[in-house]
This record gives sequence, C-alpha cells and structure tokens, in this order.
Amino acid sequence: MTENTDKEINAQAERPRANDELISKATSGEYKYGFVSDIDTDIIPAGLTEEVVRLISQKKGEPEWLLDFRLKAFRYWQTIEVPQWAHLDVPDIDFQAISYYAAPKKKEGPASMDEVDPALLDTFNRLGIPLEEQKVLSGMAVDAVMDSVSVKTTHRERLAELGIIFCSFSEAVREYPDLVRKYLGKVVSYRDNFYAALNSAVFSDGSFVYIPKGVRCPMELSTYFRINASGTGQFERTLIVADDDAYVSYLEGCTAPMRDENQLHAAIVEIIVEDRAEVKYSTVQNWYAGDAQGRGGVYNFVTKRGLCRGDYSKLSWTQVETGSAITWKYPSCILAGEGAVGEFYSVAVTNNYQQADTGTKMVHTGSNTRSTIVSKGISAGHSENSYRGLVKVARDAKGVRNYTQCDSLLLSDTCGAHTFPVVDVANPTAVVEHEATTSKISEQQIFYCNQRGIPTEEAVALIVNGYAKEVMNKLPMEFAVEAQKLLAITLEGSVG
Amino acid sequence: MISAQKAFAQYIDLYKDSVGHVSVSPMLTALNRSALAALEKAVQTFRHDPMGVADVSAPEMFAPDYGVNILGVRLPVDAASSFRCGVPRLNSLLAVVANDGYYPTQNTASDLPEGLTVCSLRDVPADISVRVSEALSRNLADGGPACALNSLFLHDGVLVYARRGVKVDKAIQIVNITSVAMPVLNIRRVVVIAEDDADIKVLLCDHSQAAGVQTLDSEVVTVEVGDGARVELYDIEETLPQSRRYWQLFGRQASRSHLSVGSFALHGGRSRNEYRIDVEGDYARTELSGLSICAADRIVDNDVRLTHAGSHCTSRQLFKNALFENSKGGFAGKIVVKHGAMFTDAEQTNRNIVDGEMARMITAPQLEIYCDEVKCSHGATTGQLDERAMFYMQARGIPADEARRMLTQAFMVDVIDSITFEVLRQRLHVLVEKRLSGTAAGCDTCATACHSDLQEPV
Repeated sequence: MTENTDKEINAQAERPRANDELISKATSGEYKYGFVSDIDTDIIPAGLTEEVVRLISQKKGEPEWLLDFRLKAFRYWQTIEVPQWAHLDVPDIDFQAISYYAAPKKKEGPASMDEVDPALLDTFNRLGIPLEEQKVLSGMAVDAVMDSVSVKTTHRERLAELGIIFCSFSEAVREYPDLVRKYLGKVVSYRDNFYAALNSAVFSDGSFVYIPKGVRCPMELSTYFRINASGTGQFERTLIVADDDAYVSYLEGCTAPMRDENQLHAAIVEIIVEDRAEVKYSTVQNWYAGDAQGRGGVYNFVTKRGLCRGDYSKLSWTQVETGSAITWKYPSCILAGEGAVGEFYSVAVTNNYQQADTGTKMVHTGSNTRSTIVSKGISAGHSENSYRGLVKVARDAKGVRNYTQCDSLLLSDTCGAHTFPVVDVANPTAVVEHEATTSKISEQQIFYCNQRGIPTEEAVALIVNGYAKEVMNKLPMEFAVEAQKLLAITLEGSVG
Repeated sequence: MISAQKAFAQYIDLYKDSVGHVSVSPMLTALNRSALAALEKAVQTFRHDPMGVADVSAPEMFAPDYGVNILGVRLPVDAASSFRCGVPRLNSLLAVVANDGYYPTQNTASDLPEGLTVCSLRDVPADISVRVSEALSRNLADGGPACALNSLFLHDGVLVYARRGVKVDKAIQIVNITSVAMPVLNIRRVVVIAEDDADIKVLLCDHSQAAGVQTLDSEVVTVEVGDGARVELYDIEETLPQSRRYWQLFGRQASRSHLSVGSFALHGGRSRNEYRIDVEGDYARTELSGLSICAADRIVDNDVRLTHAGSHCTSRQLFKNALFENSKGGFAGKIVVKHGAMFTDAEQTNRNIVDGEMARMITAPQLEIYCDEVKCSHGATTGQLDERAMFYMQARGIPADEARRMLTQAFMVDVIDSITFEVLRQRLHVLVEKRLSGTAAGCDTCATACHSDLQEPV
C-alpha cells in the first residue's frame, strides 16, 4: 500500500470525527433570542373556563357581539378533540395549565416614547426591532405584539394619510368595529379546527390591516411577536383586508425566550383579497426550538388562510420556518375569483428534535385560477420534517393550473423527511402537476467546494442557501438577510 | 359515511352463529378462528381516510347485505371446461376459481413441472404446510378489516409454490369467475411462494357472469419472494358494472429478489386495490405498474404502500388512469424508507387524464423517509390529452373520436411496455385497443361470453 493511499484512508477516517465536532458545535449554539425580559406583566390565573373568556373580553372592553363570538367558539372548542392526523408526536397539552392572558403592564397612556417602559424598549432593541429612528429610516411600519398585547405601532400617521389602517386588533375593535365585525371569522371560522376554536375564544390581540381601494401601501408592514411571560400561551389574530386594486406586503417575525417547559402559540391569520388586489405575506418564524435534547420550545399551531374572492386577485405566502419545537401550519388560499392567483413558497428547517408538519392548501373554486407551490424541507439531527399539501379543483372551476414542487434535503441519518400531498381534480380542463424529490446533500458538490478551498461547513451553508434560494428570493429584502443568517445558524456544520 | 363497526357487525354475527358448522382443513379452520379477534380489533381501530375515495372504503364496500357461502358449497358443474378465459390466450397452466371454489384443470392437476405445486389451500402438502400457514396469517394484524374478514370465512383458495431453483416458463393462470344470481360476497385467496432462486409468472384474471347482480369479491393475494427469486404477477380485471372488488396484495421480498406486479383494470364497477409490499432483503428490485380505463360510473382506487427496509434496493412505480364520463379514480402511493435502508432508489409516477364533465381524480403520492442515503422521487400529473396532438391528427383527417382513442392508447403504452412477459404484453395492447374502441374484449373461446353487455366505447 502506498503512502498516499494510507493518507487517503486516514483522511477519510478523520472526516466523520470532524463532522461530529461540527455537529456538536452547531447544536450547542445558543439561541440568541432566548433572553427573558423583566417586565411587569399582568397575567390572569391559568385555566380556561367561560369566566376566563368573559374576563379577557372584559379586560379589553369589548362589545357584546365579540364576547358572543368568543363564547360560541369556546363552547364549540369544548366539544372537539385535539387533531391527531399530522405526522407529529405532540405530547398531551394541559390546556388548563396555561394562562390565557398576559399583558405587559403599561403606565397609563404614554404620551410619547419616553414614557414607554424602558425594559420593554430594551427588549425590542435586543430583538433588532428598534421602534424609533432605525425603522423610520428603513421605512417600515411595525406593530409589536408582546405576550398577548400589541405594544406599539409606528408610522400610523403616515399610513393614515393614505387611508390605510394598521393598528392593533383591540384598537381596531374599538375604532373600526363595523369593519372588524364584517370580516372577522369569515375566512377561518371558529369551527375550522381545534386550535382555531381555541384562538377564537381567547385571542387577546394581534394586528389589523385595511388597505382601501386603489391604494398601494408604500412601505412593508411588519409585526413582531414575542412570548415573554412564563406559563402563558400566545393567541394572536391577524386580519388583513385588501380592497379593490390595493397592494400590501406584510411581514411577520416571531421569537420567544429559552424555557424548559413548552409554550403554546395558536394564532389565526385571515386575509381577504378583493378584485385585482394583491397581498404578499412573509413570515420568518424563529420561535425558540428547544435545546439539543428536545427540552422546551414553542408549540406553534397556526391557522393561516386567505380568501382571494376578487377577480384577478393575488395572494402570496412566503415562509421561512426555522424555529418551534413543533410546527403545525398550512397557509392556504381559497381561489374563488376569476383568474385569481395563489402562491406558496416555503423553506422549513428542522434540527435536533424539532418536528414540522407544514404545507399549504390551494382550493380552486374560481375559473382560470392559478397556483404555484414551492416547498423546500431541510432536516437535520433527529428532527422530523413533513410537507402536507392539498390542491383541490372544484367541478365548476375551468382552466385551472397548478404546479407543485416539494423537495426535501436530508442532512443526517437519524432525521426524517416526508411528503404528503393530495391532489383532487374534479374538472376536465384542469392541469395539475406535482413533483417531489428527497435526497442527501450531494457529496460531489461538497467535494467540488473543498477542492476550491471552501471548508465543508461553509460549503454546506452555500449549498443549502442555493437550495433554498428559489424561496429566499421571494422574501422582501429586510427579511431575506435575516432569513439567510437564520438558515446558516440553524444548520451550521450539520453535515460534512 | 358508514362506520366500520356497523358495516362488519353482520359478518361477525354470521361467523359466531355458524362456527363449527364446516371444517374443510385444520389449517384453514385455525386461520378462521384466529381471524375473529383480528377482525374485531381491525374494526375498532379503523379510521376513514378523509382524503381517500370514500365510495370504495372497506366499510362502504362491505356494508351491503351480501350472502356468504359459509358452508363451502361447490358449484355442481365442470367449471374448468365451461370457463375458458381467452383474455391472454396463453399457453398457460390454468386453474379456475368459480365464485370461491378452486377447480384445477388437466394441466394444473397433473402436468405441472417438477418442483412446482399448484393446488387448493385445502390440500397443502404436509412438508410446506407450516410455511403456507405462516403466510396465510402474516397480515392478519395489519391488513385491515377486509383482510381479517377474508381470513374469517376462507375455506378454499389457490396455492402456487415454487421450490428452490425452480424456473417455470409458462404462466400459471388463475381465472376467477363470479357466477351467481343473487348478491354474494366471494372470499378468494391466492398464496404465491417462490423459494430461493425460483422464477415464476402468475396471471390472475377476474371475470363476472353475474349480470345485473351486485356482487363483492374479496381477494387477498400473498406473495413471498425468496433470496434471488423472481415473481411476476399480473392482474387483469374484466368484470361488470355491478361488480365490486376489494383486492389486497401483500408482498414480502428477500435479498436480491425481484417482484413485478402489473394491474390492468379494463372493465368493472367499483374496485379498491391495495398493495402492501415489504422489501426486507438487500439488493431487491420491485416494479409496480397499473392502468385503468374508466367510463360511466366506474371507480378504481389504487392504494400502494411500499416499505424499504433493506439496503441498495430499487423500486419503480407507474400508475396511469384515464377517466371518462362520471368515473372516479384514486391513487394513494406511499414509499416508506426505514432507518438503515441505505442507498434506496425509489421512484413513483402517477399520470391521469380526466376527460369527463363529472369525472374526478384524487391523487396522494407520498414519501416517508427516515434515511439520508437515498434517492426518492415522485411525480403526479392530472390533465387532458394534448390539444395540439388532437389538432394535428384531425388536420390529417383522423376523426376526433378516433384521435382521442389513439392518444389515450398512446398515453397507456408505457405501462403495457413495462411488462416483461412478451405474450401478455402483446395481448394487452390488443385488449386496451379493444377496450377503448368498445369492441368485444376477446374471450372468444369462452362459451359463456361473460361480459357481452360491456361494450361502451370511451
């Protein structure tokens, strides 16, 4: 045996050890948003009863019709069971052990930013969401939802000049009750599913956006969600209405502190898109994912759905899912208007013991509607990552077109990558295509990079970013940078 | 939607009332007994698939009040000479199953090559009875209520057993005939076992003469392929619009084995075909293919679950459906790659044509992967015939109907071409052409002309 061959063999033997080190380095990396802010919080006792629902409504000073809506949802929720169909191992959740309302205590009516709790401001600064000059310069309007309550919305005056309403949900209930009443629960009924019913009963705040006819929102609207208090859940509700010929791009980001126990996040997003209007909804989800042993982390059970009821309306979902211990989320489009367009671009990354069952539903009920689905799943560690999708073409929907592509990348031999699509076509003029692949990261590509002096770790990041680029390109610039960093942090050194 | 408890209660009661009345062989009686608990459990744990084709779910199929031949009464006719299935017109080793009774013919009774056994499950040779008994009961727990019910009332069936190294050129053809005058549930079972390095071909043909009568055929096929063995199994369905069929295939593959299964649904009523293949050995190859041509109110639902547990295995799936008029099609295909099944190469393709105002296709191609050194993919499309090709052909004087038939045939051709058994491949080209043009399917040597009322062109 030649000396060279010996070296090659030794080098091959070294490689797994080097990979192990990289994996351990990556998985021991700290979750940088995992701090807890010491903010005075108003928490109601744990448990969910009709009285608690009434108390939440009372604390928020809601009108009777909204209390009725909550109570109907609560009564329905009591009759149904936790869904079991997802490819997830969800431990039993004690819904009576959760506090359903936690609000940061505020001084009475802060007249200016100076009066807002400095610890709160510090929290948002650490999150990279400075509420003041930085965002003014970046031209973004932010609504920040902490625990359950919206704490500050910026740029309202400028948006108001255009007739755009962008405020917290509670405020919308107070100031625009007719609008809220008209649209609330029209896309996601409280009877939709277990978590939608729960949210409808106990939601405490969220964001409300209304873009009037013909208005193109001049800036990206953004919401940051953060669970802070221990033993609480977060149940926010977002309602976006884009009237005829309107356009809005909406961004959503999420973080949570590191805790040993699991925290529950059950949100609802409803979007209504009228004639020729367009809504672009982007999410970078980075809830705390639990530690390397799978302890703690957020249970993220979200119902997101948009109704493209206007002719030639368009709704585009883009999501980068890197956080949460368990993700159960299917942003969907009901394409009812003639020529409506639905899009879904998703990158879902799971590492350690994370589980994700995510995908989309494209329900084509209008003629000449089109949809595109691009889903990229990346699994590492001991995680489970599933794509679940439905493309349904109703009998009367003529000329429907759908293209679906869902790819999975496996970065370890202990993870799982799964694809569960359903295509249901009941019209003879529809053309529906679906393709999926599952494979390991290409050793040839890594070898190619190595040859050119790129270390394995960087090569993996490079390849994964290239793999996810099709989706990343759809994100607004502000989010794309953050999403790329997140992707690198989540996967750093997971494979060699 | 009917519950499984309600649908199967009648059969459980019937079995309990009749237990001990008939005992055809100790092996089958033991199977019947153990199936009762399995059925009760399967019924309790059954879950409707919300995305599946509900019309052919097990409870829906078994709910009607069918008669069951619990005493194992046999037809008082010379079935073998009456029923001549000319579908493949092969020089085959022929056996007939009339309703639920096995009838050998001259060549399966006495002309079998050495090392090949084709016999009734009542008369399994003693030296292989343990192996056959294990195969019969292997899927009792995970085969669902339909398999458990089949085992509960099973009193006859066909065994095809090839001993080590036996290679048979002729196909073993099993013709299933349904010939009754009232609604009946036929319980059928075929066990195919190929020992190491054996090589056999099995052809199953389903026919019905029960015109105007709703019947249900519960057919369970168990295939075990030993080390280095090769089994080709083809299934052709040519029954009647009132026919119901619940067909289940349970396959097990050892190392270096090759299993090829082709299913061709040409005529019939409502059919549910389940394929459960476990690839346990290394370096095995699996090929599954299926085509269905559906018109009127026909429903065909194929449900595949292919599990790779061995390493370096390859699987290919190709299923095509052409749906016309009010017909409905379903395809649920799941590839499971277990932890440690390294270097698995799995592909699944499902293509569908929906060409009827009321036609509907539900497709669910799925991957469940627990191993990283794999190459798995699936593709599914649902659409129509190429308009440009239609225009091209019409521009050259071919009438629209003829052009549509030709293009549909062309659409199906790669499924037929995937058959390695050449005589059958040629015959299927003819059968599909005849099916699409609505001319007689070709059982011209059969005295009974069992599907003479089937001639609906598509």
